[in-house]
Amino acid sequence: MKNKAMNIDGKMVNAGEGMTILQAAREVGIDIPTLCYDDRLAPYGGCRLCTVEIVEDGQTRLVASCAYPAEEGLVVKTRSERVDRIRQMILELLMPLAPTGPVESLARHYGLKESRFEADLNFCVLCGLCVRYCAEIKGANAICFTGRGIERQVTFVPGIASKICPVCRECLALCPGGMLASEIECLLASPEE
Amino acid sequence: MTHAQSQISHDIEQKSSSSRSDTLLTGLDLFGEHLSLHLDEPPLGLELRSLETLMMRDAEALGQVEERQETIGHLINELHGVDAVIDKYQGDKSSLIQILLDVQAQLHWLPKSALRWVSERLGVPLAQVYNIATFYKAFNLLPQGRHVVQVCLGTTCHVQGGPRLLGKVEQVLGIKPGDTTPDQKFTLQTVNCLGCCALGPVMVVDGDFHGKLAVTKVGEIFDKYD
Amino acid sequence: MVPLKSPAELENIRKAVIARRDPNKPCIAVCSGTGCRALAGQEVALAFVQGIKLHGLETKVDLKRTGCHGFCEKGPLVVIYPEGITYVQVQPSDVPEILRETIIGKQVVHGLLYTDPVTGETVVHESEIPFYRNQLRLVFGNNSEIDPKSIEDYIALGGYSALVKALFEMTPKQVVEEVKKANLRGRGGGGFPAGRKWEECRNATDEVKYVIVNADEGDPGAYMDRSLLEGNPHSVLEGLIIGAYAIGSHLGYVYVRQEYPLAVENVAVAIKQAVEYGFLGQNILGSGFAFNVEVHRGAGAFVSGESTALMAAIEGRVGEPSPKYIHTAIRGIFNKPSNLNNVETWANIPLIITKGAGWYISIGTERSKGTKIFSLVGKVNNTGLVEVPMGITLREIIYNIGGGIPGGKKFKAVQTGGPSGGCIPEQLIDTPVDFDELTEVGSMMGSGGMVVMDEDTCMVDTARYFVSFLCYESCGKCVPCREGLRQMLNILNNICLGKGRDGDIELLEEISATMKEASLCALGRTAPNPVLSTIRYFRDEYEAHIKDKCCPAKVCRELISYCILPDKCQACMICVRNCPADAIIGGEGLIPVIDQQKCTKCGTCLEVCPPRFDAVIKLSAEPAPRLVAS
Repeated sequence: MKNKAMNIDGKMVNAGEGMTILQAAREVGIDIPTLCYDDRLAPYGGCRLCTVEIVEDGQTRLVASCAYPAEEGLVVKTRSERVDRIRQMILELLMPLAPTGPVESLARHYGLKESRFEADLNFCVLCGLCVRYCAEIKGANAICFTGRGIERQVTFVPGIASKICPVCRECLALCPGGMLASEIECLLASPEE
Repeated sequence: MTHAQSQISHDIEQKSSSSRSDTLLTGLDLFGEHLSLHLDEPPLGLELRSLETLMMRDAEALGQVEERQETIGHLINELHGVDAVIDKYQGDKSSLIQILLDVQAQLHWLPKSALRWVSERLGVPLAQVYNIATFYKAFNLLPQGRHVVQVCLGTTCHVQGGPRLLGKVEQVLGIKPGDTTPDQKFTLQTVNCLGCCALGPVMVVDGDFHGKLAVTKVGEIFDKYD
Repeated sequence: MVPLKSPAELENIRKAVIARRDPNKPCIAVCSGTGCRALAGQEVALAFVQGIKLHGLETKVDLKRTGCHGFCEKGPLVVIYPEGITYVQVQPSDVPEILRETIIGKQVVHGLLYTDPVTGETVVHESEIPFYRNQLRLVFGNNSEIDPKSIEDYIALGGYSALVKALFEMTPKQVVEEVKKANLRGRGGGGFPAGRKWEECRNATDEVKYVIVNADEGDPGAYMDRSLLEGNPHSVLEGLIIGAYAIGSHLGYVYVRQEYPLAVENVAVAIKQAVEYGFLGQNILGSGFAFNVEVHRGAGAFVSGESTALMAAIEGRVGEPSPKYIHTAIRGIFNKPSNLNNVETWANIPLIITKGAGWYISIGTERSKGTKIFSLVGKVNNTGLVEVPMGITLREIIYNIGGGIPGGKKFKAVQTGGPSGGCIPEQLIDTPVDFDELTEVGSMMGSGGMVVMDEDTCMVDTARYFVSFLCYESCGKCVPCREGLRQMLNILNNICLGKGRDGDIELLEEISATMKEASLCALGRTAPNPVLSTIRYFRDEYEAHIKDKCCPAKVCRELISYCILPDKCQACMICVRNCPADAIIGGEGLIPVIDQQKCTKCGTCLEVCPPRFDAVIKLSAEPAPRLVAS
């Protein structure tokens, strides 16, 4: 079990076996923002907020720290003009969908006051936490992704969700957008579909 | 339990194997038999009922409202067909997409009952089956018309007037891509490149290619199909 | 057929096959690629079958249904061997004449020959037609001579001799070295050195490894891989088997999009035949090497051509990309080392092995070796598939091979690399075709789609087209790509509707920057290219749309109007009768007028107005022409 010595924001960090940059950073108190990450779930790499700069063989690259494995000798910068600009744009793109909760507080933190894009509220940032929690932890598979591209959505699985979700409700705590709370109420209200 | 119900229950126990799917299918078989004998008793279990409801709704949507036992018969045939496809791939989970392609080719669409059946037999969560069935363009979760109209919107056809052709086709058929005409005659789809770029703009109806298509000719082409 | 157990047995079969063939016996090769089929190619072949029977020629002439010849503009194509007489645009009704005059009478049917539009002369032989003459058809050339469903055709042309050389005269390591030396770069779009990928996969320690053919060709307008797989599937298989040997894989996949039913069919037939002949199986040609291939169909998703997505699909999971910072060459399908290459890349392998890397690097440029097959389509006279050496210029392809722009129109741009590529304008038309050169001008080689555009193409509309395509083809997993595309589409739609605002161009550039830097996969990272390249070279068009509400190319519906020129119109009333919106007000002997409120800009009137009158024009942000007093 060899530890990997990395340099994150000037701090020397020893990352354990199988750790990602994000995990190693958090161990030493460096907070990298995330929306789609949960320690209990496999890394997803969807929100891209955790993007950091790494220097490898003299080349600078941008990678998703939640998925990039810690490596011996890696030099990581979790904040920079480039990184911050990326995070601002990501948040600016999400604000039209879900302007409350984590998106709002992160936006404030990164100096974003408002979005230039027209609001189109649906309170879902498609982080996939609900889908993945239900599949990987709960094992119920009661909620799934449907469609793709700009039509991608989170959908309750007919015939299964109505039985399980109103009782379980565990994914609500994970939802950054706020959609789930209202959706489960609708499930209770409407007949089986 | 009435006598008929306990008889059905007994029969299923006799014939059932370890798999739930087989039990369901046997249940449906027997249910169909009993229906045909006008023993219109409440069905066993939520599963049979929900499968039956799905099938009835599909049948109605297709304009084929039939007797319940005939509908159950249809369902059983369909599911047997799905079984044959699954067996062809030896029930291999990694062949899920191939299985769905073959089922789609057989039934011309993917009814919910087929999706649930595949999920059951392969042991793949229904969530994953739905995810895949809605992710790919080849799969239709709605019944298709008798004739499929595809308008190519590949780059070359776009440059050669594809969108204008699509506009005309939408106008003549009265539907948008993805929809089926109310009389179940035509389903309209857009495709991203059929590889006949020398013939742009291209429209294909049931595999018949119509290339270098002038917008004015669209109506007469559709009249040829019944 | 008992599987061949040694190279000697293969050579015997080859000799026997060739001996059975009379080189002087006429052979009618009818192109049966999907393109010619769409033009009644199958009916032409059928007419030949019937005609041959009628004339009692069954033993005197062979009929071969070949794969795509490439000259799709002039299909259906028929080539008479051994002379190589090429007939173009052949219809079933021409067949009796061909049989009478050429097969029996040994005369050429002049009316069916290719006519050079410049000199007006007819050309008899395929090799002399400028379209073909200026190409270097090393990989694609055999398509005209083989029936893809006949392994014997492939064997007769020397097929599978490269496999013999690799299996019996080279070690796996030597094969990898040869491919590295040849500097073969991926033909699917990435341009990554294949040899390096093979080496990485070879060095990965695992008993189980996979090799994959990526035949998911999704770029709209590109159909090279389809024609290669349809027309010469064994060349791809042979390359794959050699690669499997080099890497140490015993199971391969051919991932083919289901929109290519003929390719699916022909590759399945080829695999079956290869098994029968012993080119696939437990003991290939008695070498001890075991390798099998399975076909896996796609289900209609452009993004599934991305390597991690494709591998997920083979595993039965949804075909969307994952962040994989560990190369798939080390952890791919089911976490096993997997080597994925494009169809054309695999098809180059037998050539490299047979003729050697030294020969291969003599073709092409410093960093891009060999040839590339392009689908030359759009506003060009000779549309079709062309194979050229790397380093040839765009001008040479578009003019010498493509025959220039039809209708006397002016060249405007050529789009390469599909939705990941960019538009290259006139001033850069002498750019050599080379991986790095094309990237430098803001585009990319991509898989080989080359769409020619003329003065009637709106570049803003083109950018919008690609963004729209990607909006629905993106998997939608990551925010920069999904939401970036969504907003870019909104902005571009508004610009084309005349609702563009100051700052739109800058906002597009800002969104693009984040997409390029932070997207999860190459689809998202390259999605901004069409937008950025059109802004770079055609910024004036964007500004005209935004500031002047004008579409200079007269394409964007909201910004154009149709107008009937009074001094040209002869009041024939054809437009009035054909207008689907009843928007043309006219009567007997009156110059019709288009009611702009009702007009849907469908363009029917322009289409139906007789060319000798040419009285309908399109206007954009300009006043209607006045009636000239006579």
